Amino acid sequence: MAGGHLPLAELTGSGRPVLLPSEIECSFLPNVELESEESANFSVRLKSGLLILTTHRLIWLLPNPVPPGSKGFYFPLAAISQIFSSKKSMFASLRLSFQVSVGPNGRVDTESLVRGSRSIPMTVVMRGKGDVDSCDQVLGELEASILRREQEIWESTDKSLHDAFQDLNALMSKAKEMVMLAEKIRLKLLSGSLQAGTANVEEMGSKEEMQDWLLSVGIISPVTKESAGALYHQQLSCQLADFVKFPLERSGGMINLIDIYCLFNRARGTELISPEDLLQACSLWDKLDVPSMLRKFDSRVMVIQNKSYRDEEVFARINTLVTKPDTLRMGISASDAALTLGIAPAMAKEHLLAAESLLCRDLSPDGFRFYVNLFPGIISDELYLVQHHGIYALWNTTVSST
Amino acid sequence: MRRRAGIGGLQTAAAARDQYRLLGENVAKIKTDLMKEQLATFRSQLEDFARKHKNDIRKNPAFRSQFHEMCAKVGVDPLASNKGFWAELLGIGDFYYELGVQIVEICLETRSHNGGLINLQELCTLLRQKRKTSREAVSEDDCLRAISKLKVLGSGFEVISVGKKKLVRSVPTELNKDHNEIIELAQGQEFVTVDEVERRLSWTSGRAIDALDILLDEGFAMIDDGHKDGKRRYWFPCVSSIASTVNTDA
Repeated sequence: MAGGHLPLAELTGSGRPVLLPSEIECSFLPNVELESEESANFSVRLKSGLLILTTHRLIWLLPNPVPPGSKGFYFPLAAISQIFSSKKSMFASLRLSFQVSVGPNGRVDTESLVRGSRSIPMTVVMRGKGDVDSCDQVLGELEASILRREQEIWESTDKSLHDAFQDLNALMSKAKEMVMLAEKIRLKLLSGSLQAGTANVEEMGSKEEMQDWLLSVGIISPVTKESAGALYHQQLSCQLADFVKFPLERSGGMINLIDIYCLFNRARGTELISPEDLLQACSLWDKLDVPSMLRKFDSRVMVIQNKSYRDEEVFARINTLVTKPDTLRMGISASDAALTLGIAPAMAKEHLLAAESLLCRDLSPDGFRFYVNLFPGIISDELYLVQHHGIYALWNTTVSST
Repeated sequence: MRRRAGIGGLQTAAAARDQYRLLGENVAKIKTDLMKEQLATFRSQLEDFARKHKNDIRKNPAFRSQFHEMCAKVGVDPLASNKGFWAELLGIGDFYYELGVQIVEICLETRSHNGGLINLQELCTLLRQKRKTSREAVSEDDCLRAISKLKVLGSGFEVISVGKKKLVRSVPTELNKDHNEIIELAQGQEFVTVDEVERRLSWTSGRAIDALDILLDEGFAMIDDGHKDGKRRYWFPCVSSIASTVNTDA
């Protein structure tokens, strides 16, 4: 029988649980099985026991007569949340489920929100011939106990929130001082950059220190031509340059900045970076010798692309695409382009818009469609003359052959 | 210092310049030391605060919101960087940055349905479904803060107010005043007709149709021609109270 890392319940000589001060027993459920969902470092499989609900805990014991040396386990009510109603059917056993908070070391939390704690589902299976009523009673009492505890916590929080606000005010006045000091630093940074020829290593070093200082306090100063940014962002910049190589390859050389934000943070798991961290780090690529760069479109969409990426190449491929017989007639949409060119649909639209000198857009209830631009091939003086060369001619023959 | 003529005078002047320079460097050094000292004091004050109130911030959305407001008033941004003391000691950075990622995911998942414009309430509902196993409650205020951080990444993430509702836009398409008014009108029955727009907003037919066409092109509206009266209805998923069913496997 595995109790996992459940805290042990102290038992008296006769096998009853030792109650905490002011703890009262509320109800009992005989012949239960307790199991947790399989998880890395927390596994509970307890069979044929007695479940005791008290005002403070949920205790599991072996039933009387208790073999000497056996142990009891418990869950503090503070670690329990979200009780699911039991499944009732004639043939299946009655079940109760709840979520329990488990810390990173596999121990049940009493202090909530230890960093890295997860919520693990637990099931109580009633194997005995216990009737539906007693099960409902326990469910009701469990919910009531938890609500009571939460209310107690809130009440004590209310008092402590008063203190919290006072402390918050004190903290903020200190923060205000720091902001004023930061202004002086910012001016110092600016004046430093105006002095020509004083860009020696020491000056740059202290500039970085100042950037780090500002970052610690929570003030972002933009990366300028002169400053190299905070050390943190410089390091992040290198990390990102390595990271984006694979996603860039996969998406044809260009990827949305916001997609990189998600990909990078998902890969990181913890100690995520802020959107501003990402932007600062990518802005620093100018100063490094990396193959990727940040680019801003007119629509204010920002992308990361390979330095070797050439718009002309993509335009050439788009051109080939729109001069095929069916696309001469039907045009292409952003999703068609995305499929054929092997780039993301959102990017495809940007490309098509950027390629508008060789394309013409058409707005219809179906959305945007793009056609090859025939206008350059039409000579206004010879408007009605049917041409034999060029795109116009090609279009003419294709369309007439339907 | 009395000026002296001749080489002696030059030497004195040079010595004086050196002295001033050294003094200047010392002054600079003192300033750096002062900065470091101030930073250390601030950090320890923040550590004290965190020890006592970290839980309050994480558990209590109202307190958290108040905290953010005060930071904004003072001029610091606790979410500016993961490297800042705020994120490090109070641990709220990861909460918001992760929220940002989840919001982007939800917007992408629902884009084919609503064109990139989603009701804030619907977003929060989908977010809570996605975060079922997490213990930290997410308020609308939290969502708004996470989205305001995403704005800087330039894909058009923004919260716009239309009538009584707040909509989250995740595409760079700008909506002008006319579009906003139509969407606001749609909040009544979740759809509009051209006649209704002309009548209620006192517009010309051309103006109404142009605005509706653009909303249609961008995917914010859908056409419904199936009614007996033959009038075309324009439906707006972003103001719909029926949440879209989305497969949110976190």
